[in-house]
Amino acid sequence: MLFSRRLMLGLAIAGTFASALALPALAEGPTEIDLFFPVPVDGKLARDMGTLIKEFNDGHPDIKATAVYTGSYDDTLIKTRASIKAGKPPAAVIMSANFLLDMQIENELTNLDSLIAADGTTKDQFLGQFFPALQGNAVINRSVYGVPFHNSTPLLYINADKAKEAGLDPSKPPQTWAELTDWAKKLTKREGDKVTQWGIAIPCAYDYCGWMMETLTMTNGGRYYNEEFGGEVYYDTPSMLGALTWWNDLINKYKVHAPGATPGPAVSTSFISGNAAMMMLSTGSLTYVRDNAKFAYKVAFIPRNVRNAVPIGGASLIIPAGLEADKQKAAWTLIKWMTSPEKSAWWSRATGYFAPNMAAYKTPDMVDFLNKNPDAKTAVEQLDVAKPWFATYKTVPVRKNLEDEVMLVLNGKKQPKDALVAAQKAADETLKPYNAETSLKLP
Amino acid sequence: MSLAEPAALPVAASVPPRLHLLQRFTGRFKVSLPAYLLLLPSLVFLALFTYGAMGRVLIDALYQRATPKAPLRFVGLDNISAVLADPYFTGAVVNNLVYAVGTAIPSIGLALLFALALARTNVVTSALRAALFLPVLIPMVAASALFLFIFLPNVGLLDYYIGGLLPVVPNWLGDPDIALYAIMIITIWKNAGYYMLFFLAGLQSVPEDVMEAAHLDGAGPFMRLRYIILPELKPTFLFVIVIATLNAVTQVDHVFVMTKGGPSNSTNLVLFYIYQQAVEHYDIGKASAATMLTLAALMGLTALSFRTMANREGGP
Repeated sequence: MLFSRRLMLGLAIAGTFASALALPALAEGPTEIDLFFPVPVDGKLARDMGTLIKEFNDGHPDIKATAVYTGSYDDTLIKTRASIKAGKPPAAVIMSANFLLDMQIENELTNLDSLIAADGTTKDQFLGQFFPALQGNAVINRSVYGVPFHNSTPLLYINADKAKEAGLDPSKPPQTWAELTDWAKKLTKREGDKVTQWGIAIPCAYDYCGWMMETLTMTNGGRYYNEEFGGEVYYDTPSMLGALTWWNDLINKYKVHAPGATPGPAVSTSFISGNAAMMMLSTGSLTYVRDNAKFAYKVAFIPRNVRNAVPIGGASLIIPAGLEADKQKAAWTLIKWMTSPEKSAWWSRATGYFAPNMAAYKTPDMVDFLNKNPDAKTAVEQLDVAKPWFATYKTVPVRKNLEDEVMLVLNGKKQPKDALVAAQKAADETLKPYNAETSLKLP
Repeated sequence: MSLAEPAALPVAASVPPRLHLLQRFTGRFKVSLPAYLLLLPSLVFLALFTYGAMGRVLIDALYQRATPKAPLRFVGLDNISAVLADPYFTGAVVNNLVYAVGTAIPSIGLALLFALALARTNVVTSALRAALFLPVLIPMVAASALFLFIFLPNVGLLDYYIGGLLPVVPNWLGDPDIALYAIMIITIWKNAGYYMLFFLAGLQSVPEDVMEAAHLDGAGPFMRLRYIILPELKPTFLFVIVIATLNAVTQVDHVFVMTKGGPSNSTNLVLFYIYQQAVEHYDIGKASAATMLTLAALMGLTALSFRTMANREGGP
C-alpha cells in the first residue's frame, strides 16, 4: 500500500535522524550543541549563519556549535517542539518572538533568570541592553525567557523613480492613510480596465497576514490582543474594523491594490519588477531590496490613521526546557556572544533586520554602514513607537482564525464586519480551554 | 485405458496424508521458512514503523488533554466525534473529494491519450515519452516552488503569456475559488506521465493477432479502441485509479509549499488537516482520530479495489 510505504519511509528517516541525535557526546572534548535557525525572509541568511557560527567555534574551543536550518518561523516552532517531545531538544533556537508565550504556557522554555543571576547581573541590567519595545515579547510574568536577536518592523517601501514620474516627491513620503491612498491612486496605471501597475501591495499569507493586520490596527489606534494575558484577542473592535475596511477599500473601492491574498515573496517580486510602486513589508527584506532593485527606492514609516505605531517582528534566542546543565551553559555562552553589540551589528548589516542591542549602533562599523545606507535607519527610528508582537495561547491557530477571514475580505467574498465577527467567534472558541483554566477559573 | 487414468488422480488426492498435526505444521513450515526469512526484514520494519505507529495512533485517539496543564484523560470516541463535527475537517474532506476526482480523471485521461499516441516505438515517440515522463522525476516540493512563481499574479509566467487574454488577471493561489484548481493543475501535470507508463505496459498485452483479425474484419481505429483495446486495459485502469486515489490523499507537499491550506482553507486537504491538528493546534488526540478515520477509509477503498481486481482474474 502506497500510504503505508510513504509513512514507513518517513518514519524510517525520522528514526535514523533520532538515533543520530541520540549518539552520546564524547566524554572528553568540547560540549556539542545545536542551534536551530529559520530563514523567514528573502536573502542569503543561511550562508551568513554559517559564517557567524564558525567564528564562534573558532573563539570557543570548549564548545562546538552546529547551526541547523529549520525552515520558516512556523516550521521552526514545530521542529523544536518535536525535538523537545523526543527528549533531545536543541540547546538554542532562534524563535519567532511571538511564540515565546505559547511555549512558556506549554512548559517548553528554560527560565533564564538564574543564568542571568549567575553572571552577577540583574534582570534590569540585562534587559537594559535592548530596545525597550523588544522586552514585551521576551519577558513573561516578570521572568526572562528570550533574548532578542534580530528584529523587524514593517516599513513602507516606495519606488522613488515611479513616484517622481507620477509627480510625487519621494523625499516627503505619505504619512497618513489618506495620503497613502492618494499616492496609490496616482501610482496606479491602467490600460482600459486592466491594471499594468499597482499603487500599493500589502502581503497576506498565513503568518504575514496577521502581522499586517496588527500593523494596520495599531496605526488605527487599536490593539490586536491583550498584552498582559494570553487568552484575549480584539478582532471585533472598531479599530480593527477600520483597518480591515481600509485595506478592503484599497482593493475593492479604489482598485489600487491587487485583489486576493498575496504572499510576501510575491509582494517583493512585484515591487522589484516594477509591477507595484509601493509595498508594506518587513525591514528583514531590506537587504534583498537593496541588492536587487534596479531603481531608486525609499523606505518610510508605516502611515497612520490615528497614531504612529508598529508591531515588533523577528526572533529571539531561547533555550528549550529539559537540557543538561553543561549544554544549557554552553547555549547561554553562545546566546550572549550572538547578541553582543558587535555580532548583532554584523548580523543586522548582513540581513536587514535591526540589531536589538542598542550599543550595536555605536560600533564604528555600524556608524559607517548607516552613513552609507541611511535606509537602514528607518526601522530603528520607528522603534520609538513600536509595541510587542501579538502572542496568545495557541498563537498560530488563533492567528489563522483571523487570517482566514481577512483573506475572504481581500477576495471580495465577505464584508469586513461579518468577517471580524466570525474571526472573533472562532478565536474565542480556540481560546476557551485556556480561559477556563485561567481567567474563568474562579475561586 | 488412457481415459481412466485422469480419473484416478482425484482419488489419489482425496486420500488424506496420515501425518500428525505437528508434523504437518513443521512440514509446511519447512517449505515456507525461506519465504518468511526473506520477508523478515520488511516485517520488522512494517511492525516497527507501520503497525506499531498505527497502534500508537489508535491509543492516542482515545485520549485528550484539555489544556497544557491538565492531565491526559481517557475520552473514548469523543475525539472521533469532535473531528466529524469540525467544519474544517468536513471542509477538507470535500476539498479532497473534489481534488481526487478532479485530478484522477484528467490525469488518467491524458495518460491514456499519451500512451495511445506514443504506443509505437521510434525516435520521435521515445523523445516525447521521455519529455512527458520528466515531471515525474522532479520532486513535488521543487515543482511546487517552481509553480509558485509561475502562478504569481501579474509578474508570473502564466500571466505573462495568458494574462492578456483574460478580462481580469486571476490571483491563482490567492483566490479561494481558484486556488484548489491551480493546485490540481500541478498534480495532473505531474501524474499524467507516470500513469502513461502503466498504459504503455498495458498496451503491450493487447494481442497482436486479435488486432490483426479485427483489422482484416474491417474494424476501424475507433472500433478497435472501443471493443479490443479498452477492454484489454481494464485491469490497468483499475490499478491506476487506485494509485490516483491514494495519491490524492497522500500527496500534500504542494499544499504545504504553496498555500498552507489557504486562502481561507480552500486548499486544505485531509492529510494537511491532520498535520495542522498535530503540530499547530498541538492536539494529538484529534490528529490521531482524524488519522484513524482516514486510514479506515483508505483501507476500505484498497480492499474494495483489490477484491474487484481479484474477481476479474480468470476473466477475459
